[in-house]
Parts: sequence; C-alpha cells; structure tokens
Amino acid sequence: MTSVLSVKDLRVRYAAKGPEILKGINFDVLSDDFMAMIGPSGAGKSTLIRCINRLVEPTSGSINLLGKDVIALKTRALRELRRDVGMIFQEFNLINRMSVMDNVLSGRLGYTGNLRSLFRHFPKKDIDQALYFLDRVGLSDHINKRADELSGGQRQRVGIARALMQQPKLLLLDEPTSALDPKISREVMALIRGIAQELGVPAVCNIHDVQLAKEFCNRIIGLQDGIKKFDGETSTLRDSDLEDIYAMEVL
Amino acid sequence: MSITQPHSDAFTGQIDMRRNRHLKMALGWGMFILFATWCVNGTIIADTDWSRIGGRNGVLASVGRYISLDLGLLSELIIPTIETFMMACVGTVLGCFFSLPVAWLGAANVTPSKHILYPLGRFLMVVSRSVHEIVWALIFVSAVGLGALPGILAIAMRSVGFISKITAEAIENIDAKPVEAVRAVGGNNFQVMYYGILPQIYPVVLATVIFEWDINIRRSAVMGLVGAGGLGLLFFRQMNSFNYGGVTMVILAILMLIVLGEVISHYLRKAVI
Amino acid sequence: MTKINKPEDTQPLTWSRFTFPGSIYKYGTLLFVLVFLTYSLNFMNVSIPKMLGALGGLVGVISERYYPPDLAYVTDPGYLASVVDTLQMSFLGGIAGVFLSIPLAWFSAANVSPNRQILFPIGRMGVISCRAIHETIWTILFVSVLGFGMLAGVSALTMFCIGFAGKLFSDEIEAIEMGPVEAMRSAGANPFQVFIFAVVPQVRVAFTGIAIYTWDVAFRAATVVGFFGGGGMGWYLKRNVQQLENLRVGAIVLSIIAMVLIAEFISGWLRSAVNKAK
Repeated sequence: MTSVLSVKDLRVRYAAKGPEILKGINFDVLSDDFMAMIGPSGAGKSTLIRCINRLVEPTSGSINLLGKDVIALKTRALRELRRDVGMIFQEFNLINRMSVMDNVLSGRLGYTGNLRSLFRHFPKKDIDQALYFLDRVGLSDHINKRADELSGGQRQRVGIARALMQQPKLLLLDEPTSALDPKISREVMALIRGIAQELGVPAVCNIHDVQLAKEFCNRIIGLQDGIKKFDGETSTLRDSDLEDIYAMEVL
Repeated sequence: MSITQPHSDAFTGQIDMRRNRHLKMALGWGMFILFATWCVNGTIIADTDWSRIGGRNGVLASVGRYISLDLGLLSELIIPTIETFMMACVGTVLGCFFSLPVAWLGAANVTPSKHILYPLGRFLMVVSRSVHEIVWALIFVSAVGLGALPGILAIAMRSVGFISKITAEAIENIDAKPVEAVRAVGGNNFQVMYYGILPQIYPVVLATVIFEWDINIRRSAVMGLVGAGGLGLLFFRQMNSFNYGGVTMVILAILMLIVLGEVISHYLRKAVI
Repeated sequence: MTKINKPEDTQPLTWSRFTFPGSIYKYGTLLFVLVFLTYSLNFMNVSIPKMLGALGGLVGVISERYYPPDLAYVTDPGYLASVVDTLQMSFLGGIAGVFLSIPLAWFSAANVSPNRQILFPIGRMGVISCRAIHETIWTILFVSVLGFGMLAGVSALTMFCIGFAGKLFSDEIEAIEMGPVEAMRSAGANPFQVFIFAVVPQVRVAFTGIAIYTWDVAFRAATVVGFFGGGGMGWYLKRNVQQLENLRVGAIVLSIIAMVLIAEFISGWLRSAVNKAK
C-alpha cells in the first residue's frame, strides 16, 4: 500500500484578486483506495480534482503524483503524466460526431503520433484492447454508432472504456453519475468499482450523492468552501460529520 | 377624474408618448426622403446626358440589340466556360487553405495571442471582404501576368474573409468538454484541434465552403474583364466588337454555369448537414 | 450484471473502419475531387510552385509597386467628389433594390406566394437572374444602353441589390410562423392583405437589418462600378491603373478599404440599434 497521490497545502485562486477556491488542502491517496470527495456545490471539489492532472493550475502548494511533482512539470512531461491518469467526466465529454469506437480509441492519443492521429490509424493492439473494454462495459453492439446516438448511461460507459484504454495508474471521476438517473447511477458506479478493483487502480471520485459514496468507497473526504472538513474511512463517517460538511452558511 | 378632465393623467401621458413616436417617425421619414432626393439629384439628374440616351425609343432599341443569338460563337464558348468553372473550384479550395490559419488567429478562444494576433486575424478577414474581387484581380494580374492564375488567386483571397469569419465564429461556439477530454488523455495541441475542435465545426464550415463556391462561380465569370481568365475576356471582346448577339451568348453561358452551381450546391449542402 | 468476457472466450472480434459501400462513396468522392483539381490545374496551365510563389511574392510585389501609397492623391477634390458620388449611388441602388425586391421576394416565397403558376416563377426567376449576373456585367450592359455615368451605375447596383436582398427577404418570409397567415386567410383576406397584416409585422425587424446589410454590400460593389463606366471612385481606379500610376492605385485601394471599414462599422451599429429598438 503505497501512496499514489500526495497533496500538500494546495491553494487555488482563479484570478489574482479573486476569491481563494481551495484554501490549503492536504490529503493522501493510497494504492488500494477508492476515495470519495463529498461536499456542497461550490466547495471546490471540481477544482481540486482538476488540479491533480493540472487541467486547472494550482496557485500554490504541492501535488506529488506517482512520484512526480505535478506543478513543476513541463508540457511534454505533463502530457506523459496525464496518460497515466484516466478521467471520467460528469457530462461524459465525448466527441459527439465520432463513433463509439473512435471515442474509445481516443484514450490512446497520448501514445499516438500526429501522423497516425491525422489518419486515425491506431495499432492493432489498441483496437483489440478497445474491443475488449467495450465488451467489458457491455457496449459491443454499439461500436459503430455515433456517440450522440447513445443514452446517458451508455455514453458514460464509453467514457469509462476510454479512460481504461490509457491503462491508468489513477482514476479521476468528476461526478460520474450526476447526469444519470438513480438506477443507472448505481449500475455505472458498480461497474467502475468492479473494474477498478479488478485492475488494482486507485480512484478519486467526486460525488454529491452521499449514499453512493458510502456504498462504494472505502475512504471519504469532505470539503466545504475550500477547506477539508473530514478525512477518514467510510465507516467512521457520522451524521454529525455530514452536518458539519453540508452546513448551510447563515447569512 | 371629473367631467372637466375626462382622462387620467396616465392615459394623457400615453397619448403624448404616441404622438412623440409618430413625430419621430415622421421626422425620420422626412429626412430619409430629403437624403434620397439629394442623392438622386447628385447622381442621376446631374450626371446623365439625356440627349445621348435617345429617349425611350432609343433605350428600347439599345435593349433590342441584345435579343439575338450569335450561335457561331458556341464552339468558342466551351473552353472559357470550363475554365471559369475550374477557376471557381480551385480558387475556393485555395481560399480554404488560407482561411484555416486566419480563422485560428481570429477566434478568441484559441488564438495564441489576444492582443496582437487576434486583431490581426480579424483585420485580415475584413480586408479580404472589403477589397472587391476585381481589385484583387488587378493586383494579381500586375503580380503574375495574365491568364487563369491571377483569377484563381483573386478568388482565393476574396473567399478567405467569409469562410474564416464563419469558421472563427464556429470555433468560438464550440463545447469545451471534448477539448478538456483530449487534454486529460495526454493529447498535444494538434490532437486537441483535430479531435476536440474539428469534429464540432466540420459541418458548418463545409456548408459555408459550398455556399462560397457557388458565389465564386459568379465571380470567376468576371475575372476575365481585367485579364484574369474565364468567360470575362470573351465578354469583353464581344462587347468591344459590338457583337450584341455574342454578348447574349456569353451571358447565357454564365447563367447556365450559375444554375449548375446552384443545383450542385443545393444537394451537397443537404448531404453535409 | 455485466459478464466479464475474457478475449479467449468469444470468437476473435475484428473491427475495421471501412464500411461497404459507405466508405467507397466517401473516399470515392474525395478521390474524384482531388483528380478534378489536379486536372483543372493542368487544363489552365497553372503550376503549383508558381501559384505558391506568387502568394509568397505578394508581399514583395505590394511593397515594391504600391508602397509608399500616394496618400495626397486621396485628398484631390475631384476624387473626394467621386467618393461622395459613390456613397450616393450605393444609397440609391440600395433603396431602389430593396423596394423592388420586396414584391419579388413575396412572389417567390413558397408559403405566401399569391399565385403559384405565374407569379411564383416570375419572382424566383427575377431574383435568381439579378443574383446570377455580376454587378460589373450589369454595369457594362447598362452603360451600353444608357451611356456612361451614374445612371448606369445606379441601375446596375439596383439590379444587384434586388438579387441580394431578394433572396434574403424570401428566406426570411419562408421562415415565418404560419399561424397569423392562416388566421387572415380563414377570415377571407386576399393574398395582398395577408401579406400586409400577417407577414410584414413578423419580418419587419429582420427586413430592416437586411436592408442595412444590403446597403453595406452595395457600397463595396459601388466602389468598383466606376471602373466599367458607372461613375464613382472606380473610374479614378481605372484611370490610374491604365496610366500605371501604381502609387496612386495603392492610395485608392487603401481609401476603399478605409471607407468599407467605416461603412461596415456604421451598418453594424445601425443593425444593433434596430434590434434594440424593436
């Protein structure tokens, strides 16, 4: 059980004179964690998860991912690190006009040169792997459909397959089920959890549904207004902690 | 409200507002008519030598000269007609190549430099649209000589403005989510553009190119008037030798090309969207 | 719920990007276009190196021949008068064209056209012919009938504007809501009344915007009609081109760009003012 991700005193401010979104966050993610991040909207969960692969630039603090200092990385090294981090998005972030297969293959773009990208010519190894993952998520019958012809749950499965194509060492999930209805949400979470366990990949997951968090995740971090209010095993989360995290600010 | 003041103040106020608006409209129309009269005077009345025109019969006779067909011209029409069509095609494609970088510069969300290159991109778009295709043709004829080449270049330069404007607007309206996804996977700038941006703008851009191609057929027909290839030269020569039947033939050839272009562009645009 | 299929369990899955016949059509069209373009270049005796070289050399040619532009020439009173003439011509051509195109647009609108057998084709043909013939050709034709000068220029611009505005107007009319139209028709109104009471109120704002846009485009055309005898600044352009006074040509072109920019600015401002006022 090694530490995969180590975040120390992370602060984020979008504009120089703007408000501080994250006010000094500290936490570690171990290699067998499936960690949930909960908290009210505006707490900074989305910002935090995007700092990990530097889609958002941190203002100060340190992020150590897979042994590398994320903030100090130059462009090329950053891209190489991003290849090892699979991200699944709230609104799926698929390329709508392209087929399911092309969307899944796009997970390998970090390993594909420009010329191959231009002709969308991926090696056979990648194609076989794409077929395997598509079967794994249950979309074998939809391979050649356009991404916007699928339902929400199906689209998220494409997103999952795409993330898996990267053979990631860490999964980042930004509210993966918020756009899905409850029954599908449960299926998708179970699918992700099962695959993560099977492949031995740790995950950090933004969730706003606390029930799902308690059901699927072994650790929980609670954020409120940019500050970490709870960090511990799921079993230790009490109702009073929840009230603390989700306390409404009384004006 | 009383007998002496039958309407409330609010109602009277509304009547005043309507009167004001009517007054403003009347004033506006009045100024418009004055301006129009000044224009008519300045242009038509002052400038026209009415005696030269020859009155109504003279005009009708002049128009009547065109109602004849010089069928002997048919064989001479073929090559310039084909050349006109080809000029429009090649010119449009060439214009596309230049539109892409200009659109890139002129799209606020992807331009590499908001203060220098973005205004430059916008400026190039405007210049391309402001300079008339005849002026472009003149510039290129003086640069590369006579023939089809200056015509192609002129059409390309003229098309850049509209195509890149629409492309830039399309780029500015894209959904950022696929772009984010490609970045998260470790994609470089080229892959972000090709997978994230291009699939989203592709239908609009293609439809615009087809639309502009259709217009370019019209433009390439007149390039020859200044020596830049196509039917224009034939038109010019027929006009100069007062062969009005020939002029009509050339016009018919142009109309035929335009109709062909309209039909093709109508079906192509349906297939793309 | 999802069965885990190991790759060895199922039959070897294959996937290919190429579909039949979809891919054939797609790549066939692409190939056809490329072949056609290559053939065209050959037909017209254009070599790609020369083409690219010309574009590269464009900056060189411009700086060599047209720079520094003879800006003093632009202040020549004769030229300035011609600029005013150009403005007047564009305005008149715009007004006349817009007004004449309204009935034609009405005739050629499939949903409210008063007479499908006669007036609809007339409307369509009218607008299409005006559009198809380039404004410079209109100028030459009118000059041969009416003589040199602004009458020919204004007439040519009018034809151009009928074509330009006519198409935009008829597209706009075809996009209206048919509810008010049906209401008027069922009340027994004739087509003209339907037009005035059901169509015009819906398209009034868009028409004003189109009219302003048409004037903007007409101005660009007006700058050049003088080249072919239609009066306005184009004549100065022609004269200086013929006399190889390239520096003056440069100045004239710059002044055209400047004026078109101003016209575009004004037209953009007017159109947003119109949109806000309604």
